[in-house]
Amino acid sequence: MGLDTKKLRNRIKSVDSTLHLTTAMGLVASSKIRRAMEAMAKSREYTEMLEKVVSSLSANRECEKSAYIQNHEGGKTCIIVIAGDRGLAGGYNSNVFRLAGQYSDAEFIAIGKRACDRYGGAYSAEHFSFEQASEISKELCRRFTEGEIERLGIISTEYISMMSQESRIDWVLPLTRPEKAEDMTGMIFEPDELTVLEKAVPLYVCGRIVAAVRESFASEVAARRCAMDSAGKNAKQMIDDLQLAYNRARQSAITQEITEIVAGSGM
Amino acid sequence: MNTFGLIISSPDGNIFEGEAIKLSVRGIEGELAVMAGHIPFITAVKECDCRIELADGTEKTGHTAGGLLNVAKDSVILLSDCFNW
Repeated sequence: MGLDTKKLRNRIKSVDSTLHLTTAMGLVASSKIRRAMEAMAKSREYTEMLEKVVSSLSANRECEKSAYIQNHEGGKTCIIVIAGDRGLAGGYNSNVFRLAGQYSDAEFIAIGKRACDRYGGAYSAEHFSFEQASEISKELCRRFTEGEIERLGIISTEYISMMSQESRIDWVLPLTRPEKAEDMTGMIFEPDELTVLEKAVPLYVCGRIVAAVRESFASEVAARRCAMDSAGKNAKQMIDDLQLAYNRARQSAITQEITEIVAGSGM
Repeated sequence: MNTFGLIISSPDGNIFEGEAIKLSVRGIEGELAVMAGHIPFITAVKECDCRIELADGTEKTGHTAGGLLNVAKDSVILLSDCFNW
């Protein structure tokens, strides 16, 4: 019996230290949430402004000739995969990779250490700067206009609420021509619509990448917080169960000892 | 002096938001300046120093690595993927 209680005590200790770990990680995630959400809102604002200009330009007849609107059949599919830097965030990373697995013939560009481990690359999701985004975007836009890439997509995780996040794929290039665009009559384009569109697209792609990375990061910390919350709850439950078993084992050992003493004394 | 609302926006948020008298940048076709009441237009901006005359008469200079200048009726937005003061 003595051995049993010792084993239980060790297990309680180990689960307790896991509980400390999950609590600490949960706290770190909650402190990052606010900043991540602010960054997400800011990048969204920028992208929305650019999107407005790009979508009204792509509806323009003059811009039909643009390489960004035409189809490049026979080219590759290129997908930017955004995952987290760390694990322990519930199904966050695996959902992204599951979605990426559906496009097995595509070329992947990874952002986030977990994605880099899988597809190669060295971009961190947490410290992703817009200089890096601009570098990626210029390179991809060049390859797209040369016809090497047929379509460009981004796999990211949409932040719906603290409790729910969903991985999704967005196709960025070629640009889709909107059915109804904002009326730009009276607006002058210097020097012409096509040139402005060709200059705006790399900025737009860069904005889309940054916005997707910021949103994914906000989703990652939210997912981690939820995962750590439930892991903490499970650990507490486990400690309670183990404590009960420990107390029972301890009590039965004492009872047995008393019985042995009583039996030995011959009363 | 008439002023207009100017926003300089980057993917990491608005770098400047306020009233200005004049904004000078180098557009794709050459140097240009925007003042209040300018006709609405859109142009690409080259890498250049960007001078802003603020409502109080002081001047502020920043550097943009390029971008897009969107002059609307009521506001002017400079979208830049890299902007530092």
